[in-house]
Amino acid sequence: MNWISRHPGWTMVAAMLGLLAFLWGLAIPLSAAPAPIGPAAEQFAEGARITVWLTLIAGSAGIVLGVLGGMGKLSKFRPLKWLCDFYVWLIRGTPLLLQILFVWLVVPTILPESIQLSDFACAAIALSLNIGAYNTECVRAGILAVPHGQVEAARALGLSPLQTFMDVILPQSMRVALPALANNLASLVKDSSLAYAISVVELTMVGYRIQAESYQPIPVFLTIATIYLILTTAFTTLTSALEAQLQTGQKR
Amino acid sequence: MPQPAQPNTERPIIVARNIDKRFGAFHALRNVSASFSEGQVTAIVGPSGSGKSTFLRTLNRLEKHDSGSIVVDGIELNDDLKHLDTIRREVGMVFQSFNLFSHLTILRNITLAPMRVRKMSRADAEAKALALLERVGLKNQAHKYPVQLSGGQQQRVAIARALAMDPKVLLFDEPTSALDPEMVNEVLTVMRELAHTGITMLVVTHEMGFAKEVADRVIFFDEGAILEDTTPQAFFTNPDHERAQAFLAQVRHGF
Repeated sequence: MNWISRHPGWTMVAAMLGLLAFLWGLAIPLSAAPAPIGPAAEQFAEGARITVWLTLIAGSAGIVLGVLGGMGKLSKFRPLKWLCDFYVWLIRGTPLLLQILFVWLVVPTILPESIQLSDFACAAIALSLNIGAYNTECVRAGILAVPHGQVEAARALGLSPLQTFMDVILPQSMRVALPALANNLASLVKDSSLAYAISVVELTMVGYRIQAESYQPIPVFLTIATIYLILTTAFTTLTSALEAQLQTGQKR
Repeated sequence: MPQPAQPNTERPIIVARNIDKRFGAFHALRNVSASFSEGQVTAIVGPSGSGKSTFLRTLNRLEKHDSGSIVVDGIELNDDLKHLDTIRREVGMVFQSFNLFSHLTILRNITLAPMRVRKMSRADAEAKALALLERVGLKNQAHKYPVQLSGGQQQRVAIARALAMDPKVLLFDEPTSALDPEMVNEVLTVMRELAHTGITMLVVTHEMGFAKEVADRVIFFDEGAILEDTTPQAFFTNPDHERAQAFLAQVRHGF
């Protein structure tokens, strides 16, 4: 942790490289393992890659949604505030599994025939909407934590409301919101497993299939758990480093 | 209405007429009128809650006035955002609690507004910022963060930040009230030097020494109205109103 806070930039690079190397090379050590793991090494690696893709896509889209939602919830424009309130209320009040199924069943019927959504895309959309709602509340808390004097100083200097938000409020609110956002991201790594319900072959689905074929659930699920642990470790290392980076100028 | 101390032969840069402001049931400003000419240094004094800070904050619309009119450099201050942006570029403000941007270095604090609002290049803005930091004696602190500086240093940076926009008017809202006593002087020294540069200054302050020595004019607020508007000499030796006499008797114990 100390090394992380002293070298946040290097830590982020290391965590990203570590994650990439892990995803690329995962099949090599796994293939050396005895059955039922060894023969299915390539499937485990492919499942892990899908899980990471889902996490990265939904995680990034979720940040954007969270910032927009957080701004919207604090907006003085009533309809926008109501829309964002409704969004958070709806998503937080229903199970993620239902949301994934709903997107998978309903969105293709709304879209024109020419656009075909893959199962993976449906899962990514549902996960983005889900984490976006939780992020909305974190970003809102972050924005509310920025002292009003900072806004007054920016406005008094002639910065427009948008410039004030982008240059002063948003960076300062992220300092407060980031630990909670990191929490949501760690949840997302594992929540992405619910995509199995619409037959996205991510890590959990791979494990489910292999144990069904081999009748050896314990080694298979232990392997899966270990891969999840390594993935969440990489993501949380990344976010701790980012947090350390944003701490500059903060009271210690 | 008491007469201003100096006949305003010069062009008035701020003209406030019949300003009223309420916060709920509290009547913060009662029919306040005052005009300020270019280059004038005005000390605004009065007891806490008398409306002096509120008045200052209406002049760049950090508080919206309920009625009356404020004209800054020929531009009416109203709901028109274009007018507001133009006025805020011409009117700088220094706050009691400094309000430096805590996530930016000292240098970036000063260059932000010139780069964003005046569209200055980074190189030009930084050169200007360093020159201003030198002027307030903090050139070697440029790459630190606000939290690493003392209160007095932070306030000097805040003054440099306001000056970077080349404002015609500088508003000071109790600039030394949040400082430890030993740091008050370094800030007053910078303000004293500024007063001689010809910039228009409005200073809400409890520093009677500063008001007496540096200001061209003293305005005394009480219960939301201007009671005295005169020269420092007249105000400190022979104020007209009992409330001003009582106020001076109170603060005299301090020095």
